[in-house]
Amino acid sequence: MADDMMAQGKLLVVDDLHKSFGSLEVIKGVSFDMDFKERLVLMGPSGSGKSTLVRCINWIEPPSAGRVTFDGKLVESGKYDIRRLREDIGMVFQQFNVFPHLTALQNVALGPVVVKKTARKEAEAEAMELLTKVGLSHRADHKPAQMSGGEQQRVAIARALAMHPKLMLFDEPTSSIDVELIHEVLDVMVRLADEGMTMIVVTHEMGFAKEVADRVIFMDQGLIIESGSPAEIFEHPQQERTLSFLSKVLLA
Amino acid sequence: MFKWSIIFENLPFLLAGAWTTLSLTVVSMIFATVAGLLVGLLNMFGGRVVGAITRFYIEVVRGTPALLLVLLVYYALPIIGVNLPQFPAAAVSLAVCYAAYIAEVFRAAVESIPKGQSEAAFSLGMNRAQALRHVILPQTFRRVLPPLANEFAALIKDTSLVAFISMEDLLFKAKIIGARTYNIMSPLIGAALIYLIMTTPVMQWSRSLEKKVE
Repeated sequence: MADDMMAQGKLLVVDDLHKSFGSLEVIKGVSFDMDFKERLVLMGPSGSGKSTLVRCINWIEPPSAGRVTFDGKLVESGKYDIRRLREDIGMVFQQFNVFPHLTALQNVALGPVVVKKTARKEAEAEAMELLTKVGLSHRADHKPAQMSGGEQQRVAIARALAMHPKLMLFDEPTSSIDVELIHEVLDVMVRLADEGMTMIVVTHEMGFAKEVADRVIFMDQGLIIESGSPAEIFEHPQQERTLSFLSKVLLA
Repeated sequence: MFKWSIIFENLPFLLAGAWTTLSLTVVSMIFATVAGLLVGLLNMFGGRVVGAITRFYIEVVRGTPALLLVLLVYYALPIIGVNLPQFPAAAVSLAVCYAAYIAEVFRAAVESIPKGQSEAAFSLGMNRAQALRHVILPQTFRRVLPPLANEFAALIKDTSLVAFISMEDLLFKAKIIGARTYNIMSPLIGAALIYLIMTTPVMQWSRSLEKKVE
């Protein structure tokens, strides 16, 4: 009962989440929660478990233990099945994972047509609006192979938005993109944040974190080391590991 | 000795056999492809029991001669009351045989699609069947065509096994001509040329498709 009361007003509550691959425990008990419209940035060295953590939130990696409550409903409690959860949570991947056999427009329209049974015409009209929003209306009929990484990732963002998610997960969205094209993806993400989208972003982009994040969580070795506002984390980190990580990122 | 004249004089007879070979190949291939896709999908996604059963089927077929299957269907099934005429018996046995190989072709193609594709489909809320139908299988289509064409060429050659159940395919007709003219070399070489005319374009097509996929 008390937990349900706590979950009131929170979009996401992650409680003591663990994830193991075989005998290797990648996430060793992580708890945090998020308000509606909150923007969270997850940072940490590679292997810290930050990507696995976001992939556990929509069950792309099923957690080994712990509880996830999304929009007031406990996930996998029988009341709320995983597919509904995924409809409500958009995901953007490091490798884009756009569908290579479909045009940009078809990529964006596919989710609503297949999952929500939206009429194709209607779905494609909205897909066009979303492509316009990410600055790609002129690329609607192009296939991913004809597009740059930055363009593919913007298609992927539009594809996730087409499902009208309540939460967007970004798993290192700019790590595979040429440096000079990163800004076009970040610009779209900043605009989304400005419109009030709730989002969790795994990234090392300090500028983005400073501009957009309400809160930064720093992870290492499967645990949350510390969390706070960008100013607190970047200017006054309390933990040695945070400090040493930040100095490496800033040097890079 | 080899004589062109024997081939030319008996060409309509040989071509009738070639027609049997070709129609048997096409019919068997259609059934084998549909069954192979089904078996491949069941093997990958059917769960533990169905997966084990289909794996057993695939391994049994791959580990035994195709000829054995042909003889089994035509001569042994009648013992348990299943009497199939020559053509259906031949088509069924070749389809059962090739479905196993084609199941492996589809499995390899599905497994060659990066994991991120199904993850992206699942992240939109698709179930496994939807992800397969709309995301995975359309991408495998181009990748399965070259190996399927190879199987087709192999099947053209393997239809010669039906001579063992006295079906008058291309090879059987060649043997008849050989017995009739006391010259076995000429009709066999004629048959070889006709086999090559059928298989070469298929294999060329497969090779050019492979280049395109790369």
